[in-house]
Amino acid sequence: MPHGDTQPSAETLIECRSVWKLYGPGADRIASRHGQDINDQILADAGVFPAVRDVTLDVCKGEIFVIMGLSGSGKSTLLRCMTGLTELSLGELKIKGVDLKTASRDTLIDIRRHTMGMVFQDFALLPHLTVLDNIAFPLKVQGKSREERYAKAREMVELVGLSERENYWPHELSGGQQQRVGIARSLTTNPEIWFLDEPFSALDPLIRMEMQNEFLRLQNLLQKSIVFVTHDFDEAIRLADRIAIMEGGRVVQIGTPEELITHPADAYVAEFVEKVPRSKVVRVRTIMSPADASLTAKPVHAGDLVGDVAERVLSGEGAVPVADAEGRITGSLKAAQVVAVLLNKEIPA
Amino acid sequence: MSDVLLTGSPARHIGKAKYLLVAMSVLFAFLVHLVAGPESWARIYPEAWVWTIAQSLTVGVKYVVNDLSVAGVTLAELTRGLAGIIELPMLALQGALSEGFRFYQADGSVIKIASLPWPAVMFAVVAFAWRAAGIRVALLSFLSLAYFVMFDLWQPSMLTLSSVLVAVFVSFVLGIMLGILGYRSARANAVLMPVYDVMQTIPTFSYLVPVLLLFGFNPVAAMIATVIYAMPPMARVTTLALQRVPANIGDFATMSGSSRRQKMWMVMLPAARQNLLIGLNQIIMLTFAMVIIASVIGAGGLGGKVYQGLKALRIGNAVEAGIAITLMAIMLDQISRAIALRRPDHLVDQPKPLFQRYPLVNITLVVTLLLVVLAQFIPALHLYPKSATISTGSFWNDAVLWVSDTYYTQIKAVREATITYFMRPVKSFLLILPWPGFIAVVTAVSYAIGGRRLALMSLSLLGFILITGYWQGAMVSLYLVAISVVLTLILALPVGIWAGLSTRADRVVTPIIDTLQTLPSFVYLIPVVMLVGVGEFAGLIAIIAYSLPPGIRYTKQGIQNVVKSSIDAADMAGCTQRQKLVNVQLPHALPDIMLGINQTIMFAFGMLVITALVGTRGLEHDTLVAISKVQPGEGIVAGLGIAFLSIISDRLIGQASRNLQRQAGRRPQ
Repeated sequence: MPHGDTQPSAETLIECRSVWKLYGPGADRIASRHGQDINDQILADAGVFPAVRDVTLDVCKGEIFVIMGLSGSGKSTLLRCMTGLTELSLGELKIKGVDLKTASRDTLIDIRRHTMGMVFQDFALLPHLTVLDNIAFPLKVQGKSREERYAKAREMVELVGLSERENYWPHELSGGQQQRVGIARSLTTNPEIWFLDEPFSALDPLIRMEMQNEFLRLQNLLQKSIVFVTHDFDEAIRLADRIAIMEGGRVVQIGTPEELITHPADAYVAEFVEKVPRSKVVRVRTIMSPADASLTAKPVHAGDLVGDVAERVLSGEGAVPVADAEGRITGSLKAAQVVAVLLNKEIPA
Repeated sequence: MSDVLLTGSPARHIGKAKYLLVAMSVLFAFLVHLVAGPESWARIYPEAWVWTIAQSLTVGVKYVVNDLSVAGVTLAELTRGLAGIIELPMLALQGALSEGFRFYQADGSVIKIASLPWPAVMFAVVAFAWRAAGIRVALLSFLSLAYFVMFDLWQPSMLTLSSVLVAVFVSFVLGIMLGILGYRSARANAVLMPVYDVMQTIPTFSYLVPVLLLFGFNPVAAMIATVIYAMPPMARVTTLALQRVPANIGDFATMSGSSRRQKMWMVMLPAARQNLLIGLNQIIMLTFAMVIIASVIGAGGLGGKVYQGLKALRIGNAVEAGIAITLMAIMLDQISRAIALRRPDHLVDQPKPLFQRYPLVNITLVVTLLLVVLAQFIPALHLYPKSATISTGSFWNDAVLWVSDTYYTQIKAVREATITYFMRPVKSFLLILPWPGFIAVVTAVSYAIGGRRLALMSLSLLGFILITGYWQGAMVSLYLVAISVVLTLILALPVGIWAGLSTRADRVVTPIIDTLQTLPSFVYLIPVVMLVGVGEFAGLIAIIAYSLPPGIRYTKQGIQNVVKSSIDAADMAGCTQRQKLVNVQLPHALPDIMLGINQTIMFAFGMLVITALVGTRGLEHDTLVAISKVQPGEGIVAGLGIAFLSIISDRLIGQASRNLQRQAGRRPQ
């Protein structure tokens, strides 16, 4: 599970500065004429639709950054801008310091070959290649030798647990298996940034859960920097270090799952977080009281989820001390506080 | 539609104005008819007003081809030289399959290399059919090839097969190249599409003449004409197939860092391969049909046999070769279809060294080698002995005689009645109809259906036919097509509805129309000529037979495609079978049925051209005459006339069908 303790390190891999993406006839003209002074009136008059509007955010090394929004919120367009699949209309977007707008075609090809990997919603497997060849494909594009390709592809196929089926064709696999191939394929080149565009949306709920676990297992192993797009808030909560919530092309709020729940920026976000069981998101540190030296029970960790420690706190008598990562006692946790979280009550700021 | 009715918006007034316009044009036509005398310029377009573009074109083309020379080389010399190069792969294939090779040495001696023994060719084809399409098609291939051998048709069959294979290869490669161009550049596509439209609607005979001039009277010319005919659909299919590759697959290619070329050749084309192979199946069938028609300019082979047989009224020969064509068509269709629909299987398609992966190839090679050696000692393996061939020619000739003797009176009665009471009145009506009236009505109807653009198109295309002096011919063509289509629909609609309603009927009807549709149009002429001789009545029957399958197919599909919930709703509302059909199924199926009518008309125009061979008299006759007189201008202009007639009816009915679909609230396809 992602841990609230691991603060994203300072190094920024993706920088979005006032990114806009406009669609419709004359979109380019409008963008170049008005620049960042663009507003609703101008857009409406020109009949231009802003799929992404004025998005500024950073994705840091090693974090799972989830972009969450309903259909039409612009989340996929934003992802496509980050990958260079879609050219942004306004603003600046840098991948590891390289400005995508001014990058040459060769630079882009080079970034994609070595820095990025991508998983698609409907898998996008090549129907004419076997599982192994699909996974080896990104290396083939780079002109790697057959031996090298297959050696690496076998490694990846094993990683996602499909060794038995390496000679199958995509149409002979189930949806979940196909997406495993898609995942393996996106990792063959050992990319630093891993893009996943609604990777599990096309799968049945049970398989989706299984794949989410698989995803977390892989991330534990590989420690990629991840941009993950989903329309499923529960999925976002489960996977994310940080979530950007989008609505109508805008980013409404960026924060850790806990921050979203405890401090929703507006009614729209609040509506999403309402139904989420807080005990699975809120950590002890957020609700604890000041330290109480009289408590002698074994301490719980400040970074633990309330749901994980609830049984211990509620089955004992009275409060429990809270320790930080170094083992120092920094607070105490009362049964009433745990119960409030379990009952999904508002958390006092 | 409903909101228009409710609000009485301007659209409704325009709708009324349209009907008024059509009514006025009809009135106008009637008035012209009353006023104009029998010899008036309004009935017979005056010779003096004719724009002699056709004649000028003939002179021009002939000059360019034969007289215009660059550095002492005329175009004809150049193209015939080119033909010599294109001929090489064909000669090689033909030599290997049936003719053998002869190399003339400097000292006058000849080195002969025999062709492959016929059992070896047979084995290879059957083995390939088995591997690609299974035992059933392998058996069919075996029987077909055995038929070719036993009926002494091996050489013409192999000639036809060679032409088909080479032409298909060339069309496939060119089609893919142009298709990629159309996919990459919207501008190129906008230019190419209308060109393809004309290439596909213009009667094949029309471009046979320029091809004849450029490449001579020989199988290569026929092959080139075939490529012109079969390539546009392949280009279309390629563009379409590439557009249909899921967007994510293209994105994946980009994201894996593919260059533009890598993306096209390693991802897009392979991902589109299923649709491309279905396109290949189509061009094999088109090519095959055209290779047969091209016998008119010397393609030889099976088509030549049929053509000669029909011309000399030696029906027996024509029938035997016709059956061979039919068998080969079905064989090629089945094999290529199986290849197109095949999906790889991990149990069969394991990565293995080449010589292990295709064991049949190895066996075939061994068998071939063995047979080549054996053929040195047993000549019958090399050439199937004439004494062992069968001919049923005299049987068929006798049969035709018997039929025409026995049923002479009945056939004659039907023919005479149809001609007297149906064909002749329609024909004379169209011929005495004043052209200003005709053009006015068609233009008004075009406006009512598709607005200004469509009206302008009809007006200018009909105008072209008029001023080039082909109006009379066009009316004769139109009359034959119109009558055929009406009769076809009278037959096709009930059968289609019946097959759409009853699964049992469908099981009988569908295989029949499937088979009929694999047959090249040429073949339809044989039984028709056998039964009713030559003339416009024969043309009528041939057109009806040929355009029946699409009419039936679309009607059937229309009925079958009616949404299940609508039928359930009708059942639950207590509709009787008849009420359900009339109130639910037919209205829902109408757009599909319209498409079927459109296809029927297109097929009718397609067959019309061929019926010139059995003596029909419209524009198709002019194109055929142009071939024998080597007049490319007349051939092209008369051909354009037919193309324009079919384009007008295609656009009108297509638009009408889209209007209907919009009314029914369905998204037009």
